[in-house]
Amino acid sequence: MKRETREYNYDWMMWTIVENAAAAFDGSRKEYETLLRFIPNFRDSLDAIVRQGEPGVLLIKLMAKYLRNCINAPRQGKKTALTTFCFAPPVLYAFDVVPVVLEPMTVMGTFILQRGTAEYLDYCCEAGFTETSCSSQRGALGAYLAGLAVRPDFIICDSPGICDTNANSYSFASAYLGIPFYQLNYPSTLTGSRATDYHRQDFRGLVAFLEEQTGTALDIERFRQVIAEMRKQSVLISEFNELQRIVPSPVPGIFNLFLYSGNFLMGGTEDFTSLLESMLKTVRQNAAQGRAGTLSGRERARGFFSYIDHYTTDLRFWSFLERHDISHLGCILSTFWQENAPYSGDRPDSVYRVKDADLDDMIDSLALQVSRMPMVKSIRGPYDAPDMWLDDTLTMTRLLRTDFVAYFGTIGCRNTWGMVKPYARDLEREGMPTLILYADAFDDRVQSWEAVIDRIQEFLALRRIGAGRTA
Amino acid sequence: MIGKLKEAASTLSNPYLKKWKEAGKAVIGYPCTFVPEEIIHAAGMLPYRLRGVGTTSLSIGDTYFGPVICSFPKCVLQLAGQESYRFLDGVIITNGCDSMRRLDECWRKAEEDIAGILPGYFRYFGVPHKTASYSFDWFEQEIRELIRSIEEHFGLQITDSALRKSIRLYNSSRRLLQRIDELRSGPEVRISGQDALAVVLAGSSMPRERYTSILEGLVKSLESAPGRAEGKNRLMLVGSASDDLDFIRLIEDSGAIVVADTLCFGARSYSDLTDEKDDPVSALSRRYLSNSLCPRMFGYYRNRLSHILDKAKKARVDGVILQNIRFCDLHGSENGIFERDLERRGIPCMRMEREYGPLVETGRIRMRLDAFMERIS
Repeated sequence: MKRETREYNYDWMMWTIVENAAAAFDGSRKEYETLLRFIPNFRDSLDAIVRQGEPGVLLIKLMAKYLRNCINAPRQGKKTALTTFCFAPPVLYAFDVVPVVLEPMTVMGTFILQRGTAEYLDYCCEAGFTETSCSSQRGALGAYLAGLAVRPDFIICDSPGICDTNANSYSFASAYLGIPFYQLNYPSTLTGSRATDYHRQDFRGLVAFLEEQTGTALDIERFRQVIAEMRKQSVLISEFNELQRIVPSPVPGIFNLFLYSGNFLMGGTEDFTSLLESMLKTVRQNAAQGRAGTLSGRERARGFFSYIDHYTTDLRFWSFLERHDISHLGCILSTFWQENAPYSGDRPDSVYRVKDADLDDMIDSLALQVSRMPMVKSIRGPYDAPDMWLDDTLTMTRLLRTDFVAYFGTIGCRNTWGMVKPYARDLEREGMPTLILYADAFDDRVQSWEAVIDRIQEFLALRRIGAGRTA
Repeated sequence: MIGKLKEAASTLSNPYLKKWKEAGKAVIGYPCTFVPEEIIHAAGMLPYRLRGVGTTSLSIGDTYFGPVICSFPKCVLQLAGQESYRFLDGVIITNGCDSMRRLDECWRKAEEDIAGILPGYFRYFGVPHKTASYSFDWFEQEIRELIRSIEEHFGLQITDSALRKSIRLYNSSRRLLQRIDELRSGPEVRISGQDALAVVLAGSSMPRERYTSILEGLVKSLESAPGRAEGKNRLMLVGSASDDLDFIRLIEDSGAIVVADTLCFGARSYSDLTDEKDDPVSALSRRYLSNSLCPRMFGYYRNRLSHILDKAKKARVDGVILQNIRFCDLHGSENGIFERDLERRGIPCMRMEREYGPLVETGRIRMRLDAFMERIS
């Protein structure tokens, strides 16, 4: 790692940049424009977010608050838990623990820092990782391993049984840093009493672990507040998903990023509720005007990104879709399987319900919520089994009337790379044009964004997707 | 005696297996040490560990698997697609790792294109990644369901008494393998690393009764065999699945002798025994799930480190080779921390990433081995 990279802590750098950006919105337009001159590496990303109006500003403020919490946790006597995006954070907020979520931290680095996260990615390899390990964790984890961030107190991950490379990153971090580790481990089935009982028992083990690590018992009132917030959020997310069904889709594509990053970082808090409410205001307005969420307000094609999105420098993926009138109708990360989600359809066992009659109910609600998180739900079993990836993708494509499906992943994703070819073939057999992209969503060095654009455009042209169509 | 075992270890279909099939008996394949072989044995069938021996192309493996996947399951699929695994009556796939568990879909999907390559019995067997009490309960239930499905499919019964008999037999062969391990890691080193691996590998593809009787004779002959260690660096081999005898030969040709290992094709498969007194299914669930020596068991790094340190001390090793198959991040990354923690204790290490299968990288590996020998000599 270069010496200058060691000059500042990674989380502190993110925080100062985002905090200043967030503060700029409280001033005048002139002040904001002046600020842009001082953040040449972040201005395009910031603009991609801010041009969405209030929801963009709220997202920046949410990120700033989240990062402030991370930085200040030790000073405030709060514990920090290094955790993963597919772990729902409400239980941590109920314990007043600050979640340090690696993958969103990596994303922030890719779109804020001049050189992205390359040096932190590589530092993980210096520390012992294989270079083929997942970039989504390595991008930020390199800083934590190098001591360039607040040292986490313990680790929680819920990817064993779901994604080896993800789980491996956290178990590596635990061994390397010498800090306690708790894993939620999932069986390959989602429903049925065996799986449900396992989820419950494992989650109760987590609650006991949190009590031990924080030295406090679960505060039921605080828990109840978090659960109440979760309930609101699940209703709002369902409405968001419902609105995506409209042709043209009134949802700006980047709102999917807002939705899942907000949920990964601050799910169960009022900040996330405010973000959702603000996004919905915009989307409802677009829907009332029959306007698509793209820059022009028109829709040429409807795409479902069946795994993750692409996050490298300047958020160019989102700008590309917006400019080309392609509606982003979500990805695996934006499906949370909450009760009343339009995609849950006739699969009531696939969703989670928020119950709060008593403590047991509340704990079970959280256990179910975590077990339905993105990736945790859909890729735990054979991709062609009921309730799994193919089933879920086909449900989404039919419900959303998509024109195509595209797969982005990382080079570390053994689990999906192990099955994505037959999965894509099955989708094609169902009449859904499907594109597998060989890029790494977090590391431009694997394939440049320009090469990715070429492939997407070639695919759209060859398959005549959206040809001559505007809505 | 070792010649017979080497022959069995070097080919997919060995004479013992052929004889077994000629007698009209069934063979069940499995890819990972977390599948209890005793269940298959108690059903009167031959448990056969899937391997990629003799693969010369990955044209089929690459068709179904993506590009960044471990070459071990790709080789297995390749052989299945080439109909080299026609002798299998069944296969049990397990989630040993993500690459391995997707063999389930890839094999099934390949069957759509190459009819007849999927055995009549094909089952996914889930193994938890932790050892909490409810994980043992879950695993025990999974074993009971496996038993039920084998009984249903093959129209037979797996009785408790048959299971107990199988457990005793497997324990006795594991004890013999442990004894061979002692002879291998002792001061004299009575058996080379290459031969020791061949002995273990043979056991995963031949009838256990015959295997055990061969082992008994082998132990006796090894006890008086001449030492092989003189002038050689004593090495330990750690990491990903490795069943390539030529790889060990290459190491030993460089002036070393492999006196210990923690490989799943090697010592990991016989390092512990099953309780013979307890309920057999419960005992099997404890024996197989407690084996946290594979990094798929997340959060047990300290156990694995102390296991390696213990072995390294007993075998008085001069160095450790930490190898992994490319894209095996579980072993590959953990090797990185092993390197840190072993070197800190004064044990020289060499990390090596390689492909599974026929040694196509001989030159590179030899050069690295030479450099390592120079360092530790």
